[in-house]
Amino acid sequence: MIKVENLHKSFGRLEVLQGITTTIKDGEVVAIIGPSGSGKSTFLRCINLLETPTNGRILINGQDITDKSTNIMKVRQNVGMVFQHFHLFPHKTVLQNLTYAPVKVKGISKQEAEKNGLELLGKVGLSAKAHEYPNRLSGGQKQRVAIARALSMQPDVMLFDEPTSALDPEMVKEVLEVMKALAHTGMTMAIVTHEMGFAREVADRVLFLDGGVLVEDAGPKEFFSNPASERARDFLQKML
Amino acid sequence: MNLDFQQFIPSLPYILKGIGVTLQIVSLAGILGFALGIILSFFKISRFKFLGWIADAYTSVFRGTPLVLQLMLIYYGSPQLIGYKIDPSTAAILSFGLNSAAYISEIIRAGILAVDKGQSEAAMALGVPYRPAMMDIILPQAMKNILPALMNEFITLTKESAIVTVIGVTDVMRRAYIVGGEKFSYFEPILIAGLIYYIMVMILTLLGKGIERRMRRSD
Ligand SMILES: Nc1ncnc2c1ncn2[C@@H]1O[C@H](COP(=O)(O)OP(=O)(O)OP(=O)(O)O)[C@@H](O)[C@H]1O
Ligand SMILES: [Mg+2]
Repeated sequence: MIKVENLHKSFGRLEVLQGITTTIKDGEVVAIIGPSGSGKSTFLRCINLLETPTNGRILINGQDITDKSTNIMKVRQNVGMVFQHFHLFPHKTVLQNLTYAPVKVKGISKQEAEKNGLELLGKVGLSAKAHEYPNRLSGGQKQRVAIARALSMQPDVMLFDEPTSALDPEMVKEVLEVMKALAHTGMTMAIVTHEMGFAREVADRVLFLDGGVLVEDAGPKEFFSNPASERARDFLQKML
Repeated sequence: MNLDFQQFIPSLPYILKGIGVTLQIVSLAGILGFALGIILSFFKISRFKFLGWIADAYTSVFRGTPLVLQLMLIYYGSPQLIGYKIDPSTAAILSFGLNSAAYISEIIRAGILAVDKGQSEAAMALGVPYRPAMMDIILPQAMKNILPALMNEFITLTKESAIVTVIGVTDVMRRAYIVGGEKFSYFEPILIAGLIYYIMVMILTLLGKGIERRMRRSD
């Protein structure tokens, strides 16, 4: 469970998050939407401490990760992240991308890491690409590898920052399918996305951010058919 | 112009032996420069401003003064600095190593900063600490990009090494000069030395191209 309490984040004098409070339950899939610059990425990046919150608390499974004594590396091992631009390691093969962190930071054996890695590649439909280098893959394949890489650490939570925004339209679906399958396994997921159809279908809840404020926190049906705020209505009108 | 290479044939082996001397100085200085260069480049990108300041000052001094001066300073200064006179080739290795570290640290720093920031973020997001992320993810990618510049630095070092002549190291240059003195004719032996340097540089250039090509194949 992720509990976010009055989360603030400023870059210099720019206050990007202005006190966000919400809870993401175990196994819940939350879509985060909102206009560009509203703080969606920053919110996500606070959850794995790629950004350090200026104020407020974030508790993951009861542990306050904003506490000074928290081991940041341990937190990140437990929170997977998928980026818009994949960020696969180009000098490592697909399988090495999946085994590097488990071997290096979790200290599991290479054999076991490879076994797990191949299994994950099977799940994202890329067993055949295990020994290719990333630049031989299409965008959709890269993103599926990136998802498998994040899963290789066996995290409790997965964060996605616009995972399909850099993809050609014909590749969006294969990535969304993988994410949907992951959601069905009961993974706790927070997804920043512009794919409204996906959010409506897969998300248990929608968070609508605008100007660093959590304007709406509602079920997808409710949010998409009857948004409470003017700002969400405007936004949806532009998106749909 | 009358050139008489004939009379220098017996001296050829003597001059050629200088290649070993030159290569030894250049390769040891290269290793020293590379190792120190990496450390300095880490200083330069460090969070600790003080380290960056030290490395910048170091670079500034070594780039801002003539190499031949650094060489003489270390050679003739050693008795006052450390109490005894070091031998000329040690002085040469030290000064060239220290000097090229300044240049190499700039090359590596730029190479590290040129690696996409997403790479270190991806490593961080997986819970990989700074040091292994640097060593396993960032540096290998940086190295690939900076290989041509490094090779260039190494070639420069090879050519510049001829100045060790001034402190009496018997490298290719010095030997050509000595032979010229014996025969009262400097033109031919120095031409020979020139040819030797040129061939060494060409071989290094080809070697660099070969390595580059092989590295590019992996992606
Ligand atoms: N490292 C940073 N330093 C300074 N300002 C930043 C930094 N990161 C983000 N910002 C600013 O914070 C604001 C919110 O950025 P953020 O990336 O969280 O928005 P977003 O909702 O993800 O937008 P988008 O849909 O375009 O990705 C923007 O104004 C952005 O310029
Ligand atoms: Mg964003």
